[in-house]
Amino acid sequence: MIVASRILQFQDVELYYDRVYALRGVTIEVTEGETVALIGANGAGKSSILRAITGLSKIDQGSIYFKGERIDGLEPASIVAMGIAMVPEGRRVFPFMSVKDNLMMGAFTRKGKAEIRRTLDGVLERFPRLKERYRQSAGTLSGGEQQMLVIGRALMTRPRLLLLDEPSLGIAPKLVQDIARSIVRINRDDGVSVLLVEQNSRMALSISHRAFAITTGSVVISGESRDLLNDSRIKAAYLGGSV
Amino acid sequence: MEQVVANGVYLGSQYAMIALGLTLIFALMNVLNFAHGQMYVIGGFVTYTFYGQFEVPFLLALLMSCATLAILGALIEKFLFGPVIRRSAREESTMLLAAGIAFLLDAVILLVFGEKQRGVPKIVDGVFNWDFRIIMPYDRMLICGLAILSIGAFIAFMQFSRTGRALRALAQDRTAAQLMGVNVNRYSMIGFALGAMLAGLVGGLLVTITGVNLGMGGPTSIKAFMMVMIGGAGVISGAIAGGFILGMLEAVGLAVLSQYGDITYLVIFIALMIFLAIRPHGLMGKPWG
Repeated sequence: MIVASRILQFQDVELYYDRVYALRGVTIEVTEGETVALIGANGAGKSSILRAITGLSKIDQGSIYFKGERIDGLEPASIVAMGIAMVPEGRRVFPFMSVKDNLMMGAFTRKGKAEIRRTLDGVLERFPRLKERYRQSAGTLSGGEQQMLVIGRALMTRPRLLLLDEPSLGIAPKLVQDIARSIVRINRDDGVSVLLVEQNSRMALSISHRAFAITTGSVVISGESRDLLNDSRIKAAYLGGSV
Repeated sequence: MEQVVANGVYLGSQYAMIALGLTLIFALMNVLNFAHGQMYVIGGFVTYTFYGQFEVPFLLALLMSCATLAILGALIEKFLFGPVIRRSAREESTMLLAAGIAFLLDAVILLVFGEKQRGVPKIVDGVFNWDFRIIMPYDRMLICGLAILSIGAFIAFMQFSRTGRALRALAQDRTAAQLMGVNVNRYSMIGFALGAMLAGLVGGLLVTITGVNLGMGGPTSIKAFMMVMIGGAGVISGAIAGGFILGMLEAVGLAVLSQYGDITYLVIFIALMIFLAIRPHGLMGKPWG
């Protein structure tokens, strides 16, 4: 069933690489305005879900709808233009381009100089460090700054749905909080729906509304994030004692 | 001394353009375009045909060379490299394909333009003479100027235009570029066309000085690869540096080494091998992933 308030419906999706299953019958959905977290161990299939949504990986079964429109099978370029932005894992800045040019690449599919300028000002206001580094090449930024840059670059596309793949990976603990805070603001202030993939389950559950726990290509547990934080199964499997 | 530098700059400006086209294609698609020299030769023959035979103005003939090669490059990418890259997981496939295209273009050149050496009338007459310190025919100076102008235009295009930015993004991170909405198929085709066009443009420029013949393709490709190896593959500044360095080495070699016989390129090759053993990524080379 296609529900209008669902910005994303990911239904019974199967995806395999060279006959090895990455996803087997995964169903998740994101409601307009929501932050949804996907938690689970490395290799569970979380990133494959994001790659499937943006069309970077072609799905083998099932269907994907964005705002009620079917998007599986479309090229990444068209999907991005519809309003889905993805921040891939590993802070993939364009290393030999300036911070400015990186951000401007985010507006690649957009038209209207004044509008783009306004988004740019908003992004620079949200991440003042990028303003300080505006003319520097992106490869010379610190890990945390690069993460801000790729999130800012994704915001330049003016997305309705933002997909974040492991934004806290390899970032200094102090900056993880900053990143978490900006994700909350992007969701709350700009009304952008967020689908967040994280190995830092505690952080992910504390800033999301709902969450899905993924293991070996399937959804095993799902529910309200605040309930999952106290769920004994989740505690045992994903929260551990530390973090 | 001044004469050697002037010759070096003249050669370097042509070489840099050849290397730029090759390195652009490599950076964008990870393809070693062995047919680059043949594209250069076709550019020479097109300008010869229009300027030399049909007597249209030189600049117009040059534009015809550019257009022919841009179209040829686009077609080769769309129907040959594109599908092979999509279907084959092995990098050797594109190398074999590139070698095949080089042979194919050689055969096409032979069929269409014949095997004779062709030259065209001088575009300007006269010789520049600065007190016998630098002696250079005006047409060489003009060609050198046009080449440097074209390099400047190319850099400006890559740096400031929307298309140029997309091409750079694609070369630096394919996945990230796709996620910005860059259509990989379309921009690979544009990049290939642009690289081929640069080869055609140099061919058209140089036919006024050296003429053109069927046999120039292979050696030109080899020189182009040398320049890219010197400068570092996939980097614009590297291609330009490599081009001017090779041009300068050749000029110095011809002035200094010619008394010992035709050993300039032998010496350059040995020097290049030693250099690459020490610095395998070349001068500016960054291992672009």
